[in-house]
Amino acid sequence: MREPIVRIARRLEPSPEMVFLVSVGSVIFAFLVSGFLFSFLGIFPTEAYRVFLNGAFGSFYALSETIKRMIPLALIGAGLSVSFQASVWNIGAEGQMLIGAIVGAWVALFSHLPSPLLLPAMFILGFLGGAFWGVFAAWCRNKLAINEIITTLMLNYVAANLVLYLILGPWKGKTVRGFAYTDPFPKEAWLATLGATRIPLATLLLAIIAVFVCYLILTKTTLGFELRVVGRGEKAARLAGINIGRVVSFVMFLSGGLAGIAGVGEVSGIHHMLRHPAHISLGYGFTGVIVAWIARANPLGVLASSFLFGALMSGGDALKVSFGIPFQVIYILNGLVLLFLIASDQLLYYRIIFRHGHQDTREEDYGGVVD
Amino acid sequence: MKRLVVALLICAVFLWFVVSGNAEEGKLKVGFIYVGPVGDFGWSYAHDQARQIVEATYPWIETVYVEAVPEGEVEGVIDRLINQEGVDIVVTTSFGFMDGTLAAAQRYPDKIFFHCSGFKRAPNMATYMADFHQVYYLNGIIAGALTKTNKLGYVGAFPIPELKRHINAFTLGARRVNPNAQVLVRWLQTSWYDPAGAKEAAESLIAEGADVLAFTEDSPTVVQVAAEHGLPSFGHYSPMYKFAPDFVVSGQLVHWEAIYLDFFAKVYAGLYTSKNLENVDYWWLLREGAVELGADFGMPINPVFEERLKSTIVNDPVYGEISVYDLVFALLKAMADPEYAFSPFTGPIRDRKGNLRVPEGVRLTMDELITMEWAAEGIVGAWPGEPE
Repeated sequence: MREPIVRIARRLEPSPEMVFLVSVGSVIFAFLVSGFLFSFLGIFPTEAYRVFLNGAFGSFYALSETIKRMIPLALIGAGLSVSFQASVWNIGAEGQMLIGAIVGAWVALFSHLPSPLLLPAMFILGFLGGAFWGVFAAWCRNKLAINEIITTLMLNYVAANLVLYLILGPWKGKTVRGFAYTDPFPKEAWLATLGATRIPLATLLLAIIAVFVCYLILTKTTLGFELRVVGRGEKAARLAGINIGRVVSFVMFLSGGLAGIAGVGEVSGIHHMLRHPAHISLGYGFTGVIVAWIARANPLGVLASSFLFGALMSGGDALKVSFGIPFQVIYILNGLVLLFLIASDQLLYYRIIFRHGHQDTREEDYGGVVD
Repeated sequence: MKRLVVALLICAVFLWFVVSGNAEEGKLKVGFIYVGPVGDFGWSYAHDQARQIVEATYPWIETVYVEAVPEGEVEGVIDRLINQEGVDIVVTTSFGFMDGTLAAAQRYPDKIFFHCSGFKRAPNMATYMADFHQVYYLNGIIAGALTKTNKLGYVGAFPIPELKRHINAFTLGARRVNPNAQVLVRWLQTSWYDPAGAKEAAESLIAEGADVLAFTEDSPTVVQVAAEHGLPSFGHYSPMYKFAPDFVVSGQLVHWEAIYLDFFAKVYAGLYTSKNLENVDYWWLLREGAVELGADFGMPINPVFEERLKSTIVNDPVYGEISVYDLVFALLKAMADPEYAFSPFTGPIRDRKGNLRVPEGVRLTMDELITMEWAAEGIVGAWPGEPE
């Protein structure tokens, strides 16, 4: 049989260098393509790149803004990595984050705890709040066999409406002239920031700790091994005597809890009040899914991918400020980066072989041959 | 020694270039921050129109803007406007930006901040608002004359004092010419820009019998829904005549530029500095030209409705036998006249629970206006935060 002109062959595991290079390459490609968009808006592309890079990394201030955006993404992404390793598709980080924000706000405004206990209580209870929101979805899956994608997604809206109900109803502030906000938190419930930046120190440390703890859980513990087995195949896991329900509950507890911490960090570090849910979550919960996915569900990789998306957000701000471009352009830019990253996956796991190329890899042939 | 001097000189020249880098020499650079997209046909759109007028009017001013800024991100955007773009004045146009603007004002004591609709000020932070309650009163008069079912529909975004004041003024106006008029209220409580919610609310008001609609939300949806049903409505914020030329009777139009032109000129002239803004609070109305009655600029009442309003004669307590059309213009003139100073909130006014809210002969103060929570007689529907 004659060889087709082009065929596609499966690669075995791609090397880490390869993953890194292809990812960076796809981000660069996304920027090259977005150059057309900028030209169309009457902005010289290199000028746009310069502003973007300056705005994301070009100064101490720019870096600090990037890191500020990175923190919630890293917290959420680390937790979701663990969850995705177990093939538990938690896409409810947005809601879990908001529940964390609600619980944190309750502690700050109504618990009347003495100030040394206030912030720790906000974080611990915020973690438990987010974890509870996650475990509820796990319970639905374990006991009622309801797909966790549906429940976690829907619980996002429940959480957002709960925030709205609270700020329009029982928690509406006395000092906000009838607008939909709570009163500002007492100063004791504000997170200290790092020097002159707006990076909340506590959440920065928590994010780094979370990344390493998640990594250790995955690689060094029996539970981590079990959850990776569940992720590869439930039947095999069941045969091996692994309690799947327990694994699902655990990953939802952990990923929900970390999203809850991200929520507490946003309200006590940045907003100092509970306000409209869209202004608190800013889509971090959904972006966190992408962050974990791009890191290939490796918590250490989350450090890099959350930094990338933090940079996209803060560089995007710089573009908006400098050129007064429509805000949707930033979404398009983010979308392009994501599109190229997803598309590059094919390059990582498959390679294209031309007829005159090496033909010594026939045993790796992938079924879908393209003529 | 000589080298040191030269080095210092070079540094100084370099610094001078850096400091004067962005803004053109001698120009005042102003950065505007909007909470919504400039294409919303409402709040942010109106502020951006004013920004363009300011830039076209004053050759010594240069402006930049940032749209769709989340409330919690305002401080970061202010940092960038000041450090990256070198602006001298920052204008923040949403109540939710208040605390962030104040924090930035404290961090940049030499820059000037101008915050819309808030109540916190600083030596370098002034506040401003263009208020519509007079215009709503006139719209109410027209609506009260046009309704056949005696039911007016009102779609409101959030139950805050500003909207309560406006709906009260609208209701008081309607009942001045039509004592049987009721105003049915629907709150969206979702967002200032919620076309889907506004459509649903407008449809349900029409289903309940409302035959004239007014609203506070940042899209022309209510106007479009009313027109689909062949019903008259009142535009909000920007000229909405073009969305339904046969059905938009009038509306509330804003001239933010009136406030901006005044404020920036005073800054440029050195009257306002970063030291003396503690008590600078613009509360501008018809008299100052910050707001206008109209379906479109220069069209107070849509000609389609002129005949009907001219032939509707009412017996007014002040003006006697008068057509609604003439009454509207008489009151418009009265409110725009600084000497006369008529207020829609002149007693006696009772709320819908029967409490006397404004005693005979008394006019509400600005403080009472901006903290208003009660609902006037004739309002039907939920009223979150209504006092006993």
